[in-house]
Formats: sequence, C-alpha cells, structure tokens
Amino acid sequence: MSKLQLITKGILKENPTFVLILGMCPTLGVTSSAVNGMGMGVATMAVLIMSNIVISLIKNLIPDKVRIPAFIVVIASFVTIIEMLMKAYVPALYASLGVFIPLIVVNCIILGRAEAFASKNGVVDSALDGVGIGLGFTLSLTVIGMVREALGAGSIFGYNFAGDVMPLLFILAPGGFIVLGYLMVLFNKIAKR
Amino acid sequence: MKSSLKNMVLVLFTITAVSALLVALVNTVTKETIAQTEQKNKDLAKLEVLPAFEGEAELEEQTKQIGDFTVGVTKVSANGEVVGYAVEAPSITKNGYADRIYLMVGFVEKEGQTLINGIKVLSQKETPGLGANMTKEGNKLELSAVGKNPAEMTFKVKKDDASGSFDSLTGSTISSRAYANAMETAYAGYLWAKGELDTSEEAIADAPTGASTVTEGADTPTGATVAEGDYANETEPEAQKGEISNE
Amino acid sequence: MDTMNISQEILQAFSTGEVAVAPITIFAIIIGAIFVNNVVLSQFLGICPFLGVSSKVNTAMGMGAAVTFVMALSAVVTWCLQEFILAPFGIEYMQTIVFILVIAALVQMVEIVLRKVSPALYRALGIFLPLITTNCAVLGVAILMVQKEFSLVTGVIYSAATALGFALALVLFAGIRERLEMEDTPEGMRGVPIALVTAGLLAMAFMGFANVVPLP
Repeated sequence: MSKLQLITKGILKENPTFVLILGMCPTLGVTSSAVNGMGMGVATMAVLIMSNIVISLIKNLIPDKVRIPAFIVVIASFVTIIEMLMKAYVPALYASLGVFIPLIVVNCIILGRAEAFASKNGVVDSALDGVGIGLGFTLSLTVIGMVREALGAGSIFGYNFAGDVMPLLFILAPGGFIVLGYLMVLFNKIAKR
Repeated sequence: MKSSLKNMVLVLFTITAVSALLVALVNTVTKETIAQTEQKNKDLAKLEVLPAFEGEAELEEQTKQIGDFTVGVTKVSANGEVVGYAVEAPSITKNGYADRIYLMVGFVEKEGQTLINGIKVLSQKETPGLGANMTKEGNKLELSAVGKNPAEMTFKVKKDDASGSFDSLTGSTISSRAYANAMETAYAGYLWAKGELDTSEEAIADAPTGASTVTEGADTPTGATVAEGDYANETEPEAQKGEISNE
Repeated sequence: MDTMNISQEILQAFSTGEVAVAPITIFAIIIGAIFVNNVVLSQFLGICPFLGVSSKVNTAMGMGAAVTFVMALSAVVTWCLQEFILAPFGIEYMQTIVFILVIAALVQMVEIVLRKVSPALYRALGIFLPLITTNCAVLGVAILMVQKEFSLVTGVIYSAATALGFALALVLFAGIRERLEMEDTPEGMRGVPIALVTAGLLAMAFMGFANVVPLP
C-alpha cells in the first residue's frame, strides 16, 4: 500500500465509523453538534497517531498474551499525559477540547488500530495509519454532528437557521442511533459506486 | 513474542512502572502551571463579572469552607469605592450531570438594591452540546439572572416550579438545576460576607426547601412538580459523557 | 434582612459548614441505573458489545451475565483502590490507568478461577470474558461510581444495577434482531444500519422512564 493510500483509506474504504464500526460510544456521545464532533475527532486523531507510533515501536517487546493490557496501559497513560500537558500549556485549546480527552481512553478505535495495525507494521506506516483513520473519524463525526445539530437544534456550526422549533430528539440519545443508522446506509450507497 | 509467565509479568510490570513514572513526572511538572493558570482565570473572572472601572483594583477576600467546598467572596474596590462583590461558588447541594458546577457571580449594589452584574462558569463537566451550553454567552440560564435583583429571585428552574426564575437549557434540566443551585450558593455567600445571612434556627425553619427534583412525598410548599410525560425535553442523556470523564 | 429565597439546605450548609447529603434510596439507584439512565441506551457506553453480541438471545444472556459479574466485582476492587490508595496518597490522576489495569487483570483472573472452580459456568461465560476488557462500560461505571461519591455498598448495587440494565438492553435488542433476521429488510439497511435504527427506537422507549425516580 502506498503512503498516500494509507492516509486516504481511512476516509472511505476503511472509514472507522461507517465501515469498521469502531468507537461507537464517543461517536454517539459527543455528536450532538458539529463543533463537538470535530473536537472529539481532532483530539482522537492526536492520541491515535501517538499511540500507534509508540505501540509499533514496542510491539516486539510484548508477549502475546498480555498484549491487550499492555496496550491499554500505554494508551491510558498517553491520554492522561496529554490532558495534563494541554491543561498546563495550551489552556485555550484545553477549554475547547478538554471535555473529550478522558473519553478517548474508552474509545476502542485506539485499541483497535493498535491491535490490528500498529502491532504488525512499522513506525512510519503506523503513524500514517493514525493520520488516515483519524481523518476519517473526524470527518464522520463532523458530518453526524452536523446532521444531528441541523435536525435537532436547527443550526449548523452554531449558526441558527430555524429558531427553536426543531425536534430535540435528534440531539438526545435515540436521535444519535437513528441518524447514525441512516447515514451508514447513505455512506454504503456512495462508497459502493 | 512467545509468552511465558516470567516475561508476561516482567513486561507488564515494566510498562506499568514506566507509564506510572511518566505520568507522575508530567504531573509534578505541570501541577504548578495548572494551578497558576486556574488562579489567573479565577482572577480574570472576578473582574469580568463586575462592571469596568478605572484605577487599581483592591481585592478583599473572605472564604467560607463548607465540607469540601469553598465559597470565596471577593470585595473589589477601586479608588476607595466598592465596585462590587465577585463570589465563587459551587453547586453545593445539587450535582450537575457529571460534577459540581462552579460559578463566579458578580453582585453590584445600585441605589440600595443588589443586582447580578455578570456570571461566568469556572468549571463544569456537563454534556457537550447540552448542559455544557451554560458556558456560552447569552445562554438561557445566564439571561435568566443577569441584571436581576437576587433578593427577588426564586432559585429554581421553571420546569420544576412555576415561580422559578431560571429558564432551563434545552434538554438539560439537571445541569440547569445545578446552575440555579450554584447561583443560590453564590447569593448566600454574598449575604454571608456582608453579615446579612440569617442562619438562626428560626430562619432555617422558615426557609423554602430546595427539593426541586421529583421525590415521593416531598412536601415543598411551592409544590415542585415535574409534569408527567414531560419526559424527553427535560432529560439529559447522561454520560454522553461517558461521564466517564473525570468530570 | 430578607433571606427567604435561600433554601433550607443552603442555609444549613452555611450555618454548620457541612453539606447534608440528601439520602438516595437503594430503590431509586436500582431503577435509575437499569431504566432511567440505561447504560447503553442513554449513556452510550458499551455500544460495541451491544452491537456485536446481540444477534442471538442466548449469547446476549451469557454476555449480560458475564458483564454483571465482572462489573460488580470490579466495583468492589476499584472502590477499595480509590478509597485506600488513590485518594489517601493524592494520586487520583492515576485513576484511569489503575482502574483499567485492574479491570483487565480481574477479567483474566475471573477466567482462570472460573475454569478451575466451575467448568460449567466457564463454558457458559468463558468466551465472553475476554470481550469484557474492551467493554468501555466497565471502566465507565467504575469511574462514575467514584464521581458520584457512593459508599461501597451503594456503589456495588449501582454497578450491578447498571450491568443489569446493560443485560436487559442487550437481551431485548437481541430478541428484536432475531425477528428482524426473518424480515425482508431493504438491502442497504441490512446488518448494522437497521440495528442502529432499532436501537434508536428502543432508546426512545426507554426515555419514557425519565423522571420516574430522582437520579443519583
């Protein structure tokens, strides 16, 4: 696979949300608005790239049976460290992305990629895989957020176009499931072409 | 790599030890900076919730410890005149969705009346897109209070109690309740700092109860009820948070 | 001075310097965790196993039982760790790492013990156990329990009830999916998309439980 393909595959062919169906919890949890979806996507991408790099570096040192716990510890430490660093040195960024950071620990995308890609590939490829999957995740979350925000709050990226009349349901839990389901159908249709 | 008990334990132990060490290290390095940033934000917030003034600010701080919480009242004066009071208060008796909500509330005195001049959310861990909207400028909760005289307010959300002063945020009654609770604490803190809070037993007995959640047989004199069937709009899906957040 | 618009609770707090915590009944915790704040359908935790192991009612029951067991057990362990190690030493920032490691270890241990002690139970639950490590609901609930400042007993009850809520949602969902299999679903909707829409409808039904009990 070429380096470029590694990046682009995450957007369509191996889209983490619509094709791999990974990381559903944060996907549904934070996509009540487009900005939130994007924020979560970017924060996840950052963690994913770094965890992929570290895991591909240490992959040969870890016995198979404790692979998963070892990966989880690496990821959890990462997330904690990133949270602390952001809080201390880029408080403005932390103010906007901070709420998503702890959620990343339980995002199975990170562990999924560690297990499926980084533990079998080199450092550069793993980093690129992180970029690709991260991009795909960010795009998907932004789109889901946009649809839910537009249907449920009548606004896009915070700009209100419909007043207060839209069915709030789409911002709440059921709307998350339903919008994701229909978007998945749409995505499969487009991707098949 | 092949697994044997020895290398499994060894590797896992090493990884955990290294991770823990790194986390501890970063924590030591950043702790100071984080505390400073928080203090700076707090100091900024104190001025933000009060009207602009000329000259050097003089701060006079009083704090009241309530359990694990601190209510901090800062009297801000400039050129010998009192600008107002900035009160830092948590929602002491009501949790938000994920955690307490901390507010900085500015009180000013005009013509013998107290007015709420400004509100800033210092910390909250509510659901993004729902409860977290309380940090946005001009949100319903803020608009419900700013410019009002706190003595004439009822610190409840309208959904729970028709006489309540607070419009709740869409889909986030629990967050809104906690916000109203923090506002109430802030007002109590302001009165306390001025020596005007009557905490005698009679006053407590006369005070309204704060139960604004639906509790069986809660005899609230104001008759706090939540209409049945008024379900959807008023519940916040918890932990979208994955409330996991150490929120 | 008129302080009449300040509630008893807050006056009391200022007077005594202590916050009187309104007691939450065990009943409210259980109903709240199973129905009102269903872990899958309203908190969005544990969606992966919810979608992954829900094609048959039998497997859904097995998974539900395994999760309930592990969640209750991990609640005890994480509560003790938080109370006796993390909090006293002021290393709460290690919470995520410690909890996640403990849960992973616990799952492995349960697997080993179960295999020795009760082969029958192991055969029933065994294949689900490794899946639980990656079930974010287990970690999520452990952290929530600490956040909500529950005591050990209420914490365990809360965790077990949450897990029962997970099991309930899973079994209900599997029942619906078994039926769906036999329906002539439009091609593009087959599989995960229709499952998601179904979950949405189920979540909508669960919203009917909102405000039934005061939330913990």
